[in-house]
Amino acid sequence: MIPLFFSPFLELLLAFSLTMALVLAYFAIVQRDLVKAAVLSAGQSIAYAFAYYLLAAPDILFAYIPIAVGIYTVLLLYAISKTERFEEG
Amino acid sequence: MASTIVLFVLTLVSVALGATAFTPSLDLRPLAEFYLENCLNQFNKDLWAASPEAVTSMLWDYRGLDTVYETTVFFLAIIGSVAAFRFGEAFLRSYEESKRKQRREEGLSLIVKVITRLTFVLIVALSIAIALHGHLTPGGGFQAGSIFAVAPLLAIAAFSRRFVEEFGLTKNTCLAIRTTGLITIALIALIPLLSIALGFTGVFIIQNQPKPWALQPSFPGFPVYLGPIWLAGTLILFNVAEFLTVASGFTLLFILLSLPEDFFRRLMGK
Amino acid sequence: MTSILGQILWLYMYGVLLAIVSISIYGVVVRPHILKKIIALTILADTANTFMIFIGYRLGATVPPILTTLNPSPSDIATFVSSAVDPVPQCLVITAIVINMAVTALLIFLSIQAYRLYRTLHVKELSRLRG
Repeated sequence: MIPLFFSPFLELLLAFSLTMALVLAYFAIVQRDLVKAAVLSAGQSIAYAFAYYLLAAPDILFAYIPIAVGIYTVLLLYAISKTERFEEG
Repeated sequence: MASTIVLFVLTLVSVALGATAFTPSLDLRPLAEFYLENCLNQFNKDLWAASPEAVTSMLWDYRGLDTVYETTVFFLAIIGSVAAFRFGEAFLRSYEESKRKQRREEGLSLIVKVITRLTFVLIVALSIAIALHGHLTPGGGFQAGSIFAVAPLLAIAAFSRRFVEEFGLTKNTCLAIRTTGLITIALIALIPLLSIALGFTGVFIIQNQPKPWALQPSFPGFPVYLGPIWLAGTLILFNVAEFLTVASGFTLLFILLSLPEDFFRRLMGK
Repeated sequence: MTSILGQILWLYMYGVLLAIVSISIYGVVVRPHILKKIIALTILADTANTFMIFIGYRLGATVPPILTTLNPSPSDIATFVSSAVDPVPQCLVITAIVINMAVTALLIFLSIQAYRLYRTLHVKELSRLRG
């Protein structure tokens, strides 16, 4: 049974999703293999989409999920396959 | 060195000041209360937008000019991308002819092809439903266009680009559909101005409903319902036109990106 | 009013968003590969949008700004106005998402074209070319 005085559920879920976004964004930027960086940035977008749902913004959710998880990731993967995969220096 | 320290201290001070007052408040700002109160107010039709959804009515009625300029920016980005990857159709024909002998089995395996046929239909149906209901539920033109763009991408990956092109989804088709959508948006935005010739004087561009507080007679506005169906004046027309524009713009980008590098190397003459 | 744990969590989330902004600014400025700069730029733009929605939230409300009937009575409208979330930042953020996406698509196309002409995407070598 969940104790009734433990009320800030929404704030806890929001804090969890934004912390996941911070961790994934950090690993996406310091990663040298660009394919892994693109996939990690897609994961960070999913964490943001969860935050948009919790903040009661369904219009933005419908626009953000196909653009950030679908279109950005595919554009980056096409660009990586036509240029280089690893980043030096 | 001193400038770095000054910058650092200023950043800390501004972040701390921003954080002191930061908890979300219990009241809304007056502008937000105005939009929420007037978007579907059948008792005082002075400022209503005939739609139960505040965000879509703000996008296409109250702040419609913002959205028109945003569509212009999108249009310019697509034009820039098409211009960077330009080629002649005759060169594409001759390239395909020369590669005809070496064409092995194209696309991914049979399981992927069958599943892609199913999900293609589902994605297209979902995007059309979201576009047509944009004035009643969350959704609208941009959302539906982005969701639609995933379907030709799946088709290009599972079958090949040449297969999708033989079905009629070429660069020129996409450009034609996009132009149709943009002309529709411009026409609907300017039709109130054309009604000045018929003697109406209280007209504005991107006008949805008649305004009783302007000079009378005001432009009578687009129909709000058709029997039991709730159209919302211009909102449904704008949503459908924007859906066509955005969907064909994205499809064009993916068609251009899936051309092989060998083709462009030959085009640039190396 | 919300509890102490709730207020601490709101400040924590504000700090997390600022940390993501600073990491992505580091990514744009320091990393030398053009595609990595583009990834960091998209993260920066998305974080700015999330911050806007974050500020427009109303405490204790989970109702999106959408009416549920087509013929609301005045008391319905009054309840709606006192319990819905702010719709103004949502409208601005939809515009911002589409504009950022258009700019990113153009950037990726141009960087592919730059690779075809110069065979490198490292910023130091690109800046050594002349014209």
